[in-house]
Amino acid sequence: MADILHTLSNEMAAVVEQAAASIVRVEGRRRLAATGVIHTADGIIVTSNHVVERDENVRVGLADGSVVPAALVGRDPSTDIAVLRVNANGLTPANWDVNNQSKVGHLVLALGRPDSSVQATLGVISALGEGWRTPMGGYIDAYVQTDVTMYPGFSGGPLLNVGGYFVGLNSSALARGVSLTIPAETIARVAGTLLQHGHVKHGYLGVSAQPVRLPGNVAQSVGQETGLLLVAVEEGSPADKAGLAMGDTIVSLDGSAVRMMDDLMGLLTGDRVGKSVPVKIVRGGQIQESHVTIGERN
Amino acid sequence: MGLLQQLNDELSGVISSVQQSVVQIRDGRQSGGAGTIWHSDGLILTNAHVVRRDPVQIALGDGRVLTAQLIARDGERDLAALAVEANGLPVIAPGDSRQLHAGQWVMAVGHPWGVTNAVTGGVVIGVGKKMPELNVFTQDWVVADLHLRPGNSGGPMIDVDGRLIGVNTLMTGPGVGVAVAVDSVKDFLKKALNATPIRVETGKSAGAFV
Repeated sequence: MADILHTLSNEMAAVVEQAAASIVRVEGRRRLAATGVIHTADGIIVTSNHVVERDENVRVGLADGSVVPAALVGRDPSTDIAVLRVNANGLTPANWDVNNQSKVGHLVLALGRPDSSVQATLGVISALGEGWRTPMGGYIDAYVQTDVTMYPGFSGGPLLNVGGYFVGLNSSALARGVSLTIPAETIARVAGTLLQHGHVKHGYLGVSAQPVRLPGNVAQSVGQETGLLLVAVEEGSPADKAGLAMGDTIVSLDGSAVRMMDDLMGLLTGDRVGKSVPVKIVRGGQIQESHVTIGERN
Repeated sequence: MGLLQQLNDELSGVISSVQQSVVQIRDGRQSGGAGTIWHSDGLILTNAHVVRRDPVQIALGDGRVLTAQLIARDGERDLAALAVEANGLPVIAPGDSRQLHAGQWVMAVGHPWGVTNAVTGGVVIGVGKKMPELNVFTQDWVVADLHLRPGNSGGPMIDVDGRLIGVNTLMTGPGVGVAVAVDSVKDFLKKALNATPIRVETGKSAGAFV
C-alpha cells in the first residue's frame, strides 16, 4: 500500500501539468532557449532579463505549441526582470502567490520550458527573509532561497508551491551558487513600471564612496557611527552641481540616515529623480547641509 | 501516525521491494557498476560502459557471486545484457516510460562510490529524445533531479510502484541524473535477443558516466 506516496507523486505531476498553460519558452539568446511566465491574458510575459540577450527577433513558444514573435516592452537589469508582449488573447495568466504563503521547509517545484514540454525539479524553501537590494541596486521585496536544481533553460521560469501558486521567478543571475526567487510582489511592481515607462528609473548622484567611521563628537550629534566618504565626484554630476566634493562624508539624504552603501542605493529610487532633496555632510569636522537634485542613472 | 512517517514507510517499502533485484557488477575496476535483473532465469541489464570485458563477476543481493556472460552490448545505446546460471531471481516489473510526467517522484538504486544499494530520489525533470546537454538523440531518456555517482550506472530507476522506468546511465550536473528510458531498453532487448552473435559497437558518450 503506497497511498501517500502515490498521491504525492500524482499531485506534484498535476501541479506541473496545471501550471504548464502559463509557462512559455523564450527564444532570446543564441544558446539554449529559456523560460517565461504569462502575466496577463492579453499577451504580457515576464521573464529574466539576462535570458533576453537581444532586443529584437525575440520569439515565444506557447503551451499550445505555437511560436509567436514577441516585442520587448522593457527590461530592468537591477532586478533581472524583462517584460515581453505577444500578439495573443485568451492566454492563461499565472496564479501568483500574492499572499506569501511560503514557509521554510515547504516543498516547491521549479518549472521550465526550454523545449516543447514543461520540465520540473523539486526542492524545499531553504530561507525566507526581508527585502534586499541586488548588487545593481534593484529592490527585491523578499528574500526567497530554495535548493531546487536550476536545470538548463529554467531561468525566467517560475517557482511553484504545492497549491499551484506561482511564488515568483527563478533567477540564476542575481547571486552565485544559490537558487533565488524574485517574489510575485516584485514582479508585479517592476512589470507595472516597465509597462508604463518602458524602463525602471534609478536615481544618480555621480559619486564613488566608501563607508567610514565618524569622529566621536560628530557621531554623537548625528546619532550614527558611520557615513559615506566620497572618494570621487564626477564632474558635472548632480553631486558636483550641489557642491559635494571628494573628502566629504554623507551622513543623510532626504532626511534618512546614510551609514552604508546600501542605504544610499536604497534612497536613490526612481521617484526621487529630478527632485531637490536635502543632503547632510561632514566637511572638516563640521556638519553641513545643502540640497542636491537627484539625476537619473542611464 | 503522521503523514510524513507514513510517507517514509511507503518509501522504504518500495525500496525494499526492488533492492534484491539490484546486482553489483565487478569487472576488476574500482567502482564497478550496478545491474538490474530483468528476467528470473538470469538475464541482467546494465550499461555498456560498465561491462568492458567478458566474462564479469556478478554479486547478487543474496550474497552469491556468479560469473556472467555477455549476451549483447550496444555502445551507442549504452546498454548491455548479461546472463548468469540461476533461476528464480527477483525481477523488477518494467513500467512504461511514455507515461511518465514531469514532477512525478522517482528513485534510483545503485552502488555510488561502492556503497551498496544506496538510494537517491527526486522528480522527473523531463522525458524524451532531445534533452539539454545530451547529444544522443536516437533513444528516449528519463532526466530526474536526483544524484547519480560512479557505481550507480546500470542500476534501476523506479517509479512509486517500484516499476522499472529506466537504467541509470549518466549525470549532466551535480543534481541531474539521466537514465535510458525503459522503452528504449525493451527495443534493445528485442533486437539483442533475436540477433546473436554479440553486437559490439563503439559508443559516443553523452556526458559524465556514473
